[in-house]
Amino acid sequence: MVVRNVAQTMLRGSIAQLVLVLVLVAGAPPARAESVTEWLDRAALAARKLNYVGTIVYQHAGHVETSRLVHLNEGGVEIEKLVNLDGPAREVIRSQGEVRCFYPDAKVVRIEPRTFRNAFPSLSPMQRKSLAEYYDFSVGETSRVAGMEAQAYVFRPKDGLRYGHKFWAEIGTGLLLKALIINEKDEVVEQFTFTDVILGARVDRDMVKPSWPPAPPDWKVLKAGPDDVEVRDTGWTVAKVPPGFIKIGEGFRKLRGKRAQVAHLVFSDGLVAVSVFVEPTGAVTHPTGMLHKGGVNVYIRQLDDQVVTVLGEAPPATVRQIAYSISRR
Amino acid sequence: MGEEISHLMDGELDDEHVEIVCAQLKQPEAMTTWMCYHVIGDTLRGTDFRDAGFARRFGARFAAEPTVLAPRPRAARTLSFAWAAAATVAAVAVVGWVAVNTVEAPSTAFAKAREAASVRAMQVGPQTVPADYLLAHQEYSPTAPIQGVGPNFRAAAAQGVDGRP
Repeated sequence: MVVRNVAQTMLRGSIAQLVLVLVLVAGAPPARAESVTEWLDRAALAARKLNYVGTIVYQHAGHVETSRLVHLNEGGVEIEKLVNLDGPAREVIRSQGEVRCFYPDAKVVRIEPRTFRNAFPSLSPMQRKSLAEYYDFSVGETSRVAGMEAQAYVFRPKDGLRYGHKFWAEIGTGLLLKALIINEKDEVVEQFTFTDVILGARVDRDMVKPSWPPAPPDWKVLKAGPDDVEVRDTGWTVAKVPPGFIKIGEGFRKLRGKRAQVAHLVFSDGLVAVSVFVEPTGAVTHPTGMLHKGGVNVYIRQLDDQVVTVLGEAPPATVRQIAYSISRR
Repeated sequence: MGEEISHLMDGELDDEHVEIVCAQLKQPEAMTTWMCYHVIGDTLRGTDFRDAGFARRFGARFAAEPTVLAPRPRAARTLSFAWAAAATVAAVAVVGWVAVNTVEAPSTAFAKAREAASVRAMQVGPQTVPADYLLAHQEYSPTAPIQGVGPNFRAAAAQGVDGRP
């Protein structure tokens, strides 16, 4: 208990120092990063409002993928372009509430008529509570990332049902420069890092223009309508939600190529989310079992005449527990 | 039951289930499944399977053998090859042992072994993460906004352009 108090005092001390440093470095009064959510808010704001050009390296399970990112905010209108630099060409353009993924080798363009940003910054009081309850948050060391001074923030899980997270934010602006997901063995399961980034770069429209027409004539366009998400009770319930996770969304959505609507439930512990998708088994039998991609674990199982897919940035046991405790209400 | 054991081996069970399945392992039938899965897993992975008891017995007998032939110059290599062969034989022998020395009829045990193999095969599962689902999920991730388009990486890289039906 004494140790804990000392730790808390030290934490408060270091945050006070951090705030001081921020005031000194940034000159202008920055958003004070005195709590988890304030820092998250600040990082989110920086990601939205700044113009920047950089190279991002994504590493997971021995794979390394490098991409070029350009972000433009022109009078409040955001456009972002992500082009991968190795492997088959992929291009992601995010603009005006839509995400467009180009797959030139397959001549496919995939259009997502929504932006994930509307989920934030709107952590509910419940999410804030579980964030504090299930993670030890601490302000870590300062170090250099992409040639810039960065402040580390550490989320250490208090149980085995979630991964550890470490973020590095550029000191002046709060922009996220590096993010790690760490498992219970202290191994890094996934890492996003800017290897170089120019903050406040001169970005014009040409730099965020797609390399192809919005829908090239001989390409296949995969698009879901904007009204294809229907927020309502799905009739599905998860009996044993892992501690700290609360349901933050539920509804039906129509996914391309699927005749029936897919039930979608989302659970979050304030830092990560786990999605549950339930759909009728089609003519094609789905492979079932566990798979993962970096920090995302996926569990697919058959439940009577339905296929349940659970995925999220959580350890296999968490994803599996949710997959096995879903039932009709 | 078999599936639960398989998940236990893969470290995919939560604490409560670990307790339950470990308790079940006290039953001979469950223990047989456990051993079967391990033998199959070791064989599939190609990891050397050495039964400690076997190695000890082999070692003791080997030491007790009278040296009839003078050691040959390439003895070391011969020996390691012999060991590899012995390990393989041991693996086969142990699979046989597990199959025969069970409380069940051997045929059931073999069926179990096949079941285990198919559970494993299922767990290898789909090779690509369903991109549609990843994209739909992404918008709810509380940290997505601070990562910008970054998490879209996973989805874009997940390929699966039209991988799903």
